[in-house]
Amino acid sequence: MSLASNVPEGDLKEKWTKRLNDINLVAPNNKRLYNVIVVGTGLAGASAAASLAELGYNVQSFCIQDSARRAHSIAAQGGINAAKNYPNDGDTIWRLFYDTIKGGDYRSRESNVYRLAEISNEIIDQAVAQGVPFAREYGGLLANRSFGGAQVSRTFYARGQTGQQLLLGAYQAFMKEIDSGKIDYYPRHEMLDLVVHNGKARGIVTRDLVSGEIRRHTADAVLLCTGGYGNAYYLSTNAKNSNVTAAWRCHKRGAYFANPCYVQIHPTCIPQSGDYQSKLTLMSESLRNDGRVWVPKDKNDERHPNDIPEEERDYYLERKYPSFGNLVPRDVASRNAKYVTDEGRGVGETGKAVYLDFADAIERRGRDYIEEKYGNLFEMYHKITDENPYERPMRIFPAVHYTMGGLWVDYNLMSNIPGLFVLGEANFSDHGGNRLGASALMQGLADGYFVIPYTLGDYLGGEDLDQVEGNEEAFEEAENYAQEHIDKLLNVEGDKTVVEFHQELGKIMWDKVGISRDEEGLKEAIKEIQELRDEFWERVRVPGESANYNKYLEFAGRVADFLELGELMAKDALHREESAGCHFREEYQTEEGEALRNDEEFSYVAAFEYQGLNGEIQHELHKENLEFEFVELKQRSYK
Amino acid sequence: MSNDNMQFDLKIWKQEDGDSQGAFQEYHMEGVSEDMSFLEMLDLLNEKLIKNGDEPVEFDYDCREGICGACSLVVNGIAHGPKEETPVCELYMREFEDGQEIVIEPWRAAAFPVIKDLVVDRSAFDRIMAAGGYISTKTGSAPEANTIAVDKEDADKAFDYATCIGCGACVAACPNSSASLFTGAKISHLSLLPQGKHERKERAVRMVEQMEKEGFGDCSNHAECEAVCPVGISISAIARMRKEYMRAVTES
Amino acid sequence: MPSLVDAARSQVGRKILSGITGILLGIFIIFHLIGNLTLFGSEQAFNIYSHTLESMGIFLYLFEIGLVLVFLVHAYIGVAIWLRKRKRRPVGYEKYSSMGDPSKQTFSSRSMIFTGIILLIFTVTHVATFKYGDTQMITVDGTQMKDLKALVINTFQNPWYVIYYIVVMILLGFHLRHGAWSAFTSLTMKGGTKTSAVVYTVGTIFAVLMAVGFLFIPLYIYATGGTGALIAS
Ligand SMILES: Cc1cc2nc3c(=O)[nH]c(=O)nc-3n(C[C@H](O)[C@H](O)[C@H](O)COP(=O)(O)OP(=O)(O)OC[C@H]3O[C@@H](n4cnc5c(N)ncnc54)[C@H](O)[C@@H]3O)c2cc1C
Ligand code: HEM
Ligand code: HEM
Ligand code: SF4
Ligand code: F3S
Ligand code: FES
Repeated sequence: MSLASNVPEGDLKEKWTKRLNDINLVAPNNKRLYNVIVVGTGLAGASAAASLAELGYNVQSFCIQDSARRAHSIAAQGGINAAKNYPNDGDTIWRLFYDTIKGGDYRSRESNVYRLAEISNEIIDQAVAQGVPFAREYGGLLANRSFGGAQVSRTFYARGQTGQQLLLGAYQAFMKEIDSGKIDYYPRHEMLDLVVHNGKARGIVTRDLVSGEIRRHTADAVLLCTGGYGNAYYLSTNAKNSNVTAAWRCHKRGAYFANPCYVQIHPTCIPQSGDYQSKLTLMSESLRNDGRVWVPKDKNDERHPNDIPEEERDYYLERKYPSFGNLVPRDVASRNAKYVTDEGRGVGETGKAVYLDFADAIERRGRDYIEEKYGNLFEMYHKITDENPYERPMRIFPAVHYTMGGLWVDYNLMSNIPGLFVLGEANFSDHGGNRLGASALMQGLADGYFVIPYTLGDYLGGEDLDQVEGNEEAFEEAENYAQEHIDKLLNVEGDKTVVEFHQELGKIMWDKVGISRDEEGLKEAIKEIQELRDEFWERVRVPGESANYNKYLEFAGRVADFLELGELMAKDALHREESAGCHFREEYQTEEGEALRNDEEFSYVAAFEYQGLNGEIQHELHKENLEFEFVELKQRSYK
Repeated sequence: MSNDNMQFDLKIWKQEDGDSQGAFQEYHMEGVSEDMSFLEMLDLLNEKLIKNGDEPVEFDYDCREGICGACSLVVNGIAHGPKEETPVCELYMREFEDGQEIVIEPWRAAAFPVIKDLVVDRSAFDRIMAAGGYISTKTGSAPEANTIAVDKEDADKAFDYATCIGCGACVAACPNSSASLFTGAKISHLSLLPQGKHERKERAVRMVEQMEKEGFGDCSNHAECEAVCPVGISISAIARMRKEYMRAVTES
Repeated sequence: MPSLVDAARSQVGRKILSGITGILLGIFIIFHLIGNLTLFGSEQAFNIYSHTLESMGIFLYLFEIGLVLVFLVHAYIGVAIWLRKRKRRPVGYEKYSSMGDPSKQTFSSRSMIFTGIILLIFTVTHVATFKYGDTQMITVDGTQMKDLKALVINTFQNPWYVIYYIVVMILLGFHLRHGAWSAFTSLTMKGGTKTSAVVYTVGTIFAVLMAVGFLFIPLYIYATGGTGALIAS
């Protein structure tokens, strides 16, 4: 079956205007008659909740953390793109659109990406008006910097804390609406299920993470803004509470999961130092501008890096990609780091790292220059590893960072379940097979501030929604299911901890559904995940009780979902017999070792419909064919 | 080689829920690597407890990289522990002596009631923000971003105040349990920007009133808050808050 | 907007008032010390000085009423802040330490309520001793006046008095050490790591000067039996 993406007809540049001209509107004084649930308070959720409340809708907002301000978006470092062309270097909306489509390796929907580029400028205006302290020039105007995958400077930033400042801007707008009484705020609440009544999303079931109480919430529409699922790998740059639970439970209620195998792995992270490691820390990509990546030529060379002479070092990126060198795109850099460490040439105590060496840059440009440019990153590295990167090369390694896949949505950001909208990293929409730096923040805010306020109105204004009270059968059933699931987790009373299972899953995912994949590995992974899932339900030990604050119970629920999602990711990766963006299949590469797309057969969005779990996940694949009317498909090369 | 077998005697506050009496419990930890973060050391403790069929210790965290502000432990009497400008999630065990006793307590303040063990309720901070910690803009009505230039110096200063991660260490460390640094940081950030000037009077008054209503104490200029603040917010934020407040009540 | 009365009751208002009254008391103390140092001036300088003050009549009364009010307001706010602070942290820490620099938390800052209350008690006893104490009348240049100088010198022949005064003056120093810094910070509404360090140092010097200045009087008088070279007779 082919999926209807609901994209307006006409020229690319006219589509969004056309949609805006045609949508149904809800009269101002009728908006207060509608209830909207917004799950998540990251950039997508907070901006959506604030904008909708401002319009007059009654909003109920949920998040896991104790405050909306702590949503994972807070951690984004580098910046946010917009086609303002302030540096006058020739940027246009088209160019931003084009870079994003190309960066995504032609696996995203043209119309969505164009709209994103169109809206980008308004986001900056909005953020500045809210008091977001972006970096400025001495003249008082906004400053820009350049980021990977683009030849123009279009990234707006607030030191290394852009996500924090943008989120606080949205959070403050959100707080204002709480003050005005338009948002009911539920922090420390986890969504456990979606309620689909008469074929439409009409509410959710949540667990109060403090009291453990399971509750029903009714609404006319549900907005899912719950972020990405990178924590399926256990170790990632995501925050510890990032999860797939909300999206996965919607999936089980009928929402299609699109392109689950598209996972971005960031090349410059601080490597793992031991089994106890609980998360990985990202170091800005900008380090590769001055650092040189190398490993020893010989295996298991245990000498101090400074004692390894020049001729016994392998600057493998410079060797393999003479023209781009250390600045190859994220996926290429990550993959090559994996290759050299797999060969046994990795460095550090775990052997899972490569050197990023600044000795040349320090000698050439002076320590002051490096300090000025990367001082805070060097400090962070020093703090975490206790090694001084001015004196010995940094150790870096790739880490899971962002998930392009997510719930399938149409042009209006509505999933295939009417009334369920999905925003931000939780949807699959704009980044195709690979996301460019500084574009996730852009997308989250575009969705929340500038798309959903219109498309939600279109849905509500065009539907005849009956009244729901919360005592309908669908609510009853969902609540019971949530409670049973929890009881089941608590009743296994096995001998292995939730963390152990999560670590094991993470290892399978990293080794076999990670930076590069092949058929054999994926098949093994599927089997191993199934076995691990069975073992989980026999041996997991969840401490404590359900009627109290219980972090390990929360984690248990999330790991249970990752154990299902992991299988779907592997299956998607197995079925996609091509390499595209971050999905690299060993079998499908060019002679130069680059990702080899198969546009004939795989130029589609793979949207999976859940059909039950019976030892393995049953699903049906729906395809949304990607038509490229306005750009020409090309092969990437970075030689 | 790094030391992989440090030992510690932990003395940790345990409290079933907000209504129960709490007490300290002692745990002996072995096999701690000096490269573990403080929170990873607690993870390890919990793994052992769970395997033994005991109750794990609850504590708050999310990002584990010093930006979300969730982590909140008083370690040996200091909010976020002994390393300056470092939240407890970025504190490493190499900062401690092998064999040392470590006392771990929750933030203590009437306005931050304990939820369980080391987890406290900081929703009072949200309510202070809701009382005016924003600039009112309507989505879609913002002027072109470069229409108003902002002096770089002001923008940089505003940024310094804006980096507050809302962790509450300032309250935990303040002898008076005052939230002045947190509140002052937001008032200062917004009052430094041209966009924020229109609401500055009302903002200052309402936020200060809310801070009081939530049950935070007065500021006696101890400046302990600045010393423990993981992002180094200066007490000039408190001075600015006072100025904004006095300006609001004296100018009509 | 709140009324000025409400504003004065707010956290910020309280600090401003506490600062203003603290500074007024500080100013009084400076003048009081200077006046007291006339003990070491010419033979009758101190008595003339006290007499001049007393002959201001109604103005002195007004001044005294003002001073009492300032004392009471300052003490009231101080006690109120302290009482509130205790409620703000019902369960204390098992272990609590200061992070150190740039913290200004010291024995001084933590003991403000204690040193303050001692100062209050001291002032009452002190006024009873000197203002309402037994004095002889003497005639200086044809004017009748109290021989306060003799009272002071006699009083400080008693070692218990001297010890009492010395202890209180040290506590005064502690009160002023944090007080000077705190009042300056609250009233100028300025802060920042660099200015803070300067202000704190200046405040500490001031506090030491005051404490030493006052402490010197009883100590010197006692040590020299009231006949030291500095005391003209
Ligand atoms: C370290 C790091 C650096 C990054 N840097 C950049 C950058 O420089 N530029 C850029 O463009 N992008 C960057 N990204 C990516 C970007 O930050 C994220 O993609 C984006 O912030 C996601 O926003 P979101 O609103 O979709 O979700 P999130 O911010 O992840 O928010 C998810 C919300 O959903 C809530 N939630 C989740 N599950 C549930 C549930 N079951 N019930 C209730 N609530 C739930 C959470 O509590 C939270 O409020 C970075 C990411 C990382 C990890
Ligand atoms: C000669 C007498 C006194 C002098 C010169 C003096 C001076 C000061 C000064 C300058 C301050 C700082 C003001 C501020 O920033 O709030 C202060 C604070 C304080 N004073 Fe006094 N004071 C005196 C007497 C008293 C008395 C009698 C009491 C109480 C009984 C008292 C209790 C306090 C307290 C508790 C504070 C701290 C206020 C706070 O915590 O914010 N003082 N004093
Ligand atoms: C060694 C130190 C001191 C000496 C010798 C001294 C001496 C005196 C004398 C002689 C008087 C009586 C003046 C008169 O009746 O006209 C007096 C009054 C007074 N002193 Fe002191 N004093 C000392 C320290 C202090 C201190 C530290 C304080 C404040 C805390 C203080 C507060 C007062 C007050 C409030 C009065 C009453 C003033 C009035 O009613 O006009 N004195 N002192
Ligand atoms: S001011 Fe500092 S200590 Fe206080 S909440 Fe903000 S970051 Fe935490
Ligand atoms: S420690 Fe407390 S007293 Fe004031 S200066 Fe900081 S809030
Ligand atoms: S866990 Fe996020 S700041 Fe410590």
